[in-house]
Amino acid sequence: MENTALTKGSSQRSQMCIQVEDLWKIFGENVERCFSPEMRASSKATILEKTGCVVAIKEISFEVQKGEFFVIMGLSGSGKSTLIRCILRLIKTTAGRILINGDDICSYNDQQLTHLRRNTTAMVFQQFGLFPHRNVLDNVAYGLKVQGVAEEERYIKAREVIDKVGLKGWENYLPSTLSGGMQQRVGIARALAIEPEILLLDEPFSGLDPLIRRQMQDELIGLQEEVQKTILFVTHDLDEALKLGSRIAIMRDGEIIQVGTPEEVITTPGNAYVREFVQDASPAKVVTAKNIMEQPKVLLYEWQGPKAAMHTFRTTMTNSIFLVSHTGILLGLITLERLVKLIRNRGNSLKEALEPDLPTCTADTVIEELFPLAVSTMHPIPVVDEAGRFMGEIYNSSIMISMIQEKETGETEESDKEESHV
Amino acid sequence: MFEFPQFLTIPLAEWVDAGMSWILTNLGTIFDAIGTSILALLLTIERIFLWIPWIVTILAVGIIAWRALRQWWAGVLFAAMLVLIGSFGYWDLAMMTLAIIFASVIISLLIGIPTGILMARSNIFQSILKPLLDAMQTMPSFVYLIPALMLFGLGKVPAVFATIIYAIPPVIRLTNIGIRQVPKSVIEAAQAFGSTPKQILYEVQIPLAIPSIMVGINQTTMMALAMVVIASMIGAKGLGMQVLLAINRIEIGKGFEAGICIVFLAIIIDRITHAMAARKEYSMSN
Ligand SMILES: Nc1ncnc2c1ncn2[C@@H]1O[C@H](COP(=O)(O)OP(=O)(O)O)[C@@H](O)[C@H]1O
Ligand SMILES: [Mg+2]
Repeated sequence: MENTALTKGSSQRSQMCIQVEDLWKIFGENVERCFSPEMRASSKATILEKTGCVVAIKEISFEVQKGEFFVIMGLSGSGKSTLIRCILRLIKTTAGRILINGDDICSYNDQQLTHLRRNTTAMVFQQFGLFPHRNVLDNVAYGLKVQGVAEEERYIKAREVIDKVGLKGWENYLPSTLSGGMQQRVGIARALAIEPEILLLDEPFSGLDPLIRRQMQDELIGLQEEVQKTILFVTHDLDEALKLGSRIAIMRDGEIIQVGTPEEVITTPGNAYVREFVQDASPAKVVTAKNIMEQPKVLLYEWQGPKAAMHTFRTTMTNSIFLVSHTGILLGLITLERLVKLIRNRGNSLKEALEPDLPTCTADTVIEELFPLAVSTMHPIPVVDEAGRFMGEIYNSSIMISMIQEKETGETEESDKEESHV
Repeated sequence: MFEFPQFLTIPLAEWVDAGMSWILTNLGTIFDAIGTSILALLLTIERIFLWIPWIVTILAVGIIAWRALRQWWAGVLFAAMLVLIGSFGYWDLAMMTLAIIFASVIISLLIGIPTGILMARSNIFQSILKPLLDAMQTMPSFVYLIPALMLFGLGKVPAVFATIIYAIPPVIRLTNIGIRQVPKSVIEAAQAFGSTPKQILYEVQIPLAIPSIMVGINQTTMMALAMVVIASMIGAKGLGMQVLLAINRIEIGKGFEAGICIVFLAIIIDRITHAMAARKEYSMSN
């Protein structure tokens, strides 16, 4: 969720990378018929029945900012692949505009299109789309080869990327000898090799088994932090969308019905369809520590002596308080029990009374990851920033309450829906 | 009374004759040029085959068979077959037959592979060519001898010409199929990386069609061999002509010898080209 903060910051400078305006894609003959006012108001199924045309993309508009991880999510057949293929002009659009870095690519000629595909964009496919007759090295170097890069140079670059995706040693193998996960690494390496500005991924992990999938997702997040590309990621899996996206667009029947951050999508679903979609999604996966942390009533400071600390304990009637340095760095947790022991032993530094093995979390930690921490300790969990400065504390009870609340709101929404049906 | 009515007679034979003579008077120079090029190619190949010492040929075939089939006994067996051909006294005739096969196959590939590629790239062209190829393959092979005779007279050139027409369909067909069955996802990936149509053809489609093209080459070669025997009817000197002569003179023994030589050649050529095609397939899928 750090991504979100980042892109929100840069959006003020508003560096648009991809802008899609009123895009239509209709498969079939005499597609003009589908633009009549009557047809515009009809559903995809009605239009298909009346005209025989498949409206795969219906008047879609959205914008992706530079460096953003934008996820398009929707069920199978909702038009995700068609949309991502339109952006590369692998299929011809019916109407509307697609701007990449401000340039309308729908008006591009073949040469400009080739230039765009060679230098600006790269795509990763669900079925991998690897070249079965080329080994891993040549597959990864393919984009550079069509660019006309000399063999030696492109192999150096390809080896570098192969290394990055963890396939070192597999350079001379044919794709068919690799597992699915490894083949998709080759697909990703092939895309990264040309150092594209925009990375398009069409359900890249859908064919992989859950364990590998999770690992690949983590690696993609790592890669994104490292290379900072603009990413357009297509998936039909909500959990994947919530995990990866800084923003998510939800598609249904060729239309985008909601765009927002993962939190927005979960907490304020745009309509009944989205609500239905997200109701299975556990808030534990999106609600973060900063949503439920509290400011402590008191803190102890490293320059204080044991007696002063004891006074604080007495007046606040607690049995544990966090200790911080004068710069606000969290040093640890002092419990009443240990403080009493310290005073009895005539120690004079509070640091000698710290609770060992204190778990910590950051503001971005999702609740799901807080559960094991909460179980491991009876004390509140401190929240710290990257520098280790103390930001707040989380009580075990707050974690529980947040989960119950989410459940309740989910249930009331449920009953709302039933009422509206009646 | 039950005879077919006279007024329904269609003088097709006359029309064909008229068409042929028109072609001969108007396009004669073109066919002359084609004839001389075919002859030049054929004679060069024949001269080379006859010039190479027999022992070198036998060793080379043995080694190639051993490498291609990955079996030492295949090399020995094929070499022994060639020795037998020589011992029957048919070495030179066998080399002449081989030269006609080689020339026909080379020209068939030069024409057939590009045609197959064009066919794969154009649905219209495919729908025109497909029935034509079907017709070419269902027609009895010696039918081709007639136009060949008319255009080029008697001898080796019409034999090569008829052989090409008979043998070319498989390589066209299998090149077409090979290119068309390249997965769409792979082509799309190549496109997505900014390949031009030409790059897609040379970097992706043709390499992936090679196993199929190799099968086409094998079939074309085998059909050329079959046709060469028939083509000897119009005067192509070689093993086929020996069979023909033996039949005419009712010399069963001679005919048997020549026949066995043809079978040996067929086995050798088929096994070697087949193994090459299979090897391509193997390295692709592995
Ligand atoms: N080439 C095509 N011809 C006709 N209809 C198509 C074609 N490609 C996709 N469609 C239709 O467009 C709709 C969207 O498909 P697609 O973009 O593949 O969805 P998704 O990727 O979300 O599963 C589907 O209804 C599909 O049947
Ligand atoms: Mg899809």
